[in-house]
This record gives sequence, C-alpha cells and structure tokens, in this order.
Amino acid sequence: MASMKEINLRIKSISGTRQITKAMELVAISKLNKARERIDRTRPFYTELYAALSDISSAVSPLDSGYCRTGEVKKSCFVVIAGDRGLAGGYNSNVFKFAEELMKGKNACVLPIGKRSVEHFARRGYEIVSDEYPEVEDIDVGGCYEISRLLCRMFLDGEFDELVCVYTNFVTMLGQEPAQLRLLPLDKELLSDGSEAKFTLVEPGAGAVFNSVIPDAVAGLIWGAVCESFASELASRRTAMESATSNADEIIDDLKLKYNKARKSTITRQITEIVSGAQTE
Amino acid sequence: MADFHLKIVSPDGVFFDGEAHQLSLRSIDGDVAVMAGHIPYLTAVGIGECRVYLGDGEPKRAACCGGLLNVTKEGVFLAPTTFEWAEDIDPDRAEAAKQKALSRIEAPKSDAALRLAQIKLQRAELRLAVAQRAKKA
Repeated sequence: MASMKEINLRIKSISGTRQITKAMELVAISKLNKARERIDRTRPFYTELYAALSDISSAVSPLDSGYCRTGEVKKSCFVVIAGDRGLAGGYNSNVFKFAEELMKGKNACVLPIGKRSVEHFARRGYEIVSDEYPEVEDIDVGGCYEISRLLCRMFLDGEFDELVCVYTNFVTMLGQEPAQLRLLPLDKELLSDGSEAKFTLVEPGAGAVFNSVIPDAVAGLIWGAVCESFASELASRRTAMESATSNADEIIDDLKLKYNKARKSTITRQITEIVSGAQTE
Repeated sequence: MADFHLKIVSPDGVFFDGEAHQLSLRSIDGDVAVMAGHIPYLTAVGIGECRVYLGDGEPKRAACCGGLLNVTKEGVFLAPTTFEWAEDIDPDRAEAAKQKALSRIEAPKSDAALRLAQIKLQRAELRLAVAQRAKKA
C-alpha cells in the first residue's frame, strides 16, 4: 500500500485540479448566460432574413446575379467555426469530424474561425483562405462583415463555386449538434418552401437587390453561426468541467479512505510493536 | 390613418415591433415611403435616414444602413445592417469616425480601402445629421 505521505500528496494535487475545473465551470456558466442572451437577440434577424431571401429567390434567374450562379462545383470553401481553447468535451473534435466528412472527395479550401480551427486545418495541410480570425470570442458583427466581403468577392471572381458554413447548433444546454449551412450559391430548392411564388414587386430589380443584399445576408448568417457556436462551446465546456469536478470529488473520497486505512494500519503496527516490546522486558 | 405592423430587426437585436402608419427610408435607388396597404414590395436599403411615423407627432428618426426591406400582406419587415435610433447616437463617436475616415481618404492604402473609407465617412456624416435633426425637432 502506498505510504501516507504519497497519498496525502495525491489528495493535494487532485484538490488543486478540482479547484481549477470548478473555476472553469463557473466561468463557463457566467459567459454562457451572456452568449445565450446574444443568441436570443440575433436569432430573429437571420431567421427573418432567410425567410425574406426565400421569398425573392423564386423571382431571380441565374442571369440576374452572380450570386445565383449554378453549374459544376469545382471547388468548395468551408467556413469552420470551432473554439479558441480545448477542455470542452467533444466540442472541437465533433465539428472537425463533421466538417471533414463533408469535405471528403471535394476540392476544399477553409476559412477557419477560432484558434483550434486554425491550428487543426493548418496542421492537416488544408488550403487556408485567411487565418486572420483566430479568436471566436472577440469576433463581432464588423468582423463578420469583413469575412463576408472577402468571401463574396472571391465567389464572384470564381475562386470557388460553393460556400458552406460548418458550425455547432445550440439545441439545449445539454445537447449541441454540428450543422452545416450552405451560404452560396443560394439553394433555391432549400430556400423555397414549396408554396407558389408570391407576387412581389422588386425594385430596382431582383439582380440589383440580390447583389446588394447577399453580402449582408452572408455576414448575418455567419454572425448567427458564430453566436450559436460560441454558446455551444461554453455549454459543452460547462458539462465537461462539471463531470471533471465530480470525478475529482470521487477520487478524493477514495484517496481519503485509503489514507485513513493506511493511518490506521500504521497505528496498529506501532501499538503491536510497543506491546511486544513491553512484554519482552 | 390606417396602421400596419412594422418590425425592425438588425444583428444587434429587435429595434421596433409594433404598429406604425408610415415608414420612410432610403433604398439603393432613392427614397421610399411605405404606408398601410402597400403592395408586396422588396428592395435593398441604402445609407440614409429612416423615419417611423407613430400617431400625429414627430417621427422617430434613426440612421439606417444596408440590408433589406420586405413588404408583405402580413406586415413590413426591415432588416438593416446597422440601425441606430437618433437618441442612441453618440455624436462624439460619430465625429471621431468621420475624422478617421477623412484621414484614410487622404492617404488610401488601396482602392478597396478607399471605397470602404468613403462608405464609413458617409455613415458617420449620416449619424451626425440624424442626431442633429432629432435635436432640433
């Protein structure tokens, strides 16, 4: 059996770890509340925007706007949103697995958002469009507009033919799912809900409206995905840290028991020694 | 005057959700005003002042840039890129943004940077103008 001193040292080190995991859990909880408020604020914008786009998509033909270009997809661009830090359970690896599944067999380039994402795709030798967005926590609406302008310009220049955003959907506090959203070209089948095209007057013209609105819409949708992902990361970290803390508690209990047993057996041994020593005299 | 349902939502949140009897704003093609009973209409929003008329008094003014305006039978939906009610505009910040944009225009790094600075200047000037007009009213 390990000596009392060894057990004591282990208890101390695990209590230290427990303090860290507990602190990380509390930080994640407080940040998560803010992130959820942000989701509630932004969700109406992009759900309504998507609905409005679907209304007009039926009225536009590929000739009207470069954003409606259809044809063979030679190259795809993926915006992959992951976390800045690890210790969030399977959050990062789930997104990467999902993204790589989608990229399989495609000629893909990546715009990673989040430090982990940048590192992951750089290490695996993917073509990186821009690695200027390593901090998912600091990114704001303005940053999303920058990304959107860059991507829209590249799409119009024909540098890629498809733009997909891979993010994590915040379903509940306990469940987050990786998801994909095709941003460009606009998927008409996906957008229209099957109902008959409504008559809508589009001024000055469907093409012009699309050209002006799409970069904004892409930015809005990326921003929405960033908000969802960030909340998912925090929720995932909270769950992971919660179970780490309870595991540490279990180990500490176990070690305390062992420590007491070791202590008891030393005392018993000492008493036996004293008694037998006294008897021989 | 007949009212219609107006909803203004930007990425920063919901700014307005209620009844109004007129909405005026600048589209990419010029100024438009929407009143109740308008036909289904869709346009892209430019950079300009947005006025929401409620009741008989002065309209609520705001600086509104980018995004889209969608008029349906159910109501009017405005999804601007940026939206600021006049009372929320910080004139000092707008002035600072204006000066920054001006200095960028004087020594542009590239064509794209120049265009961006010009747009930023336009926005800053709009914010200042809206804040001033709201103060006078």
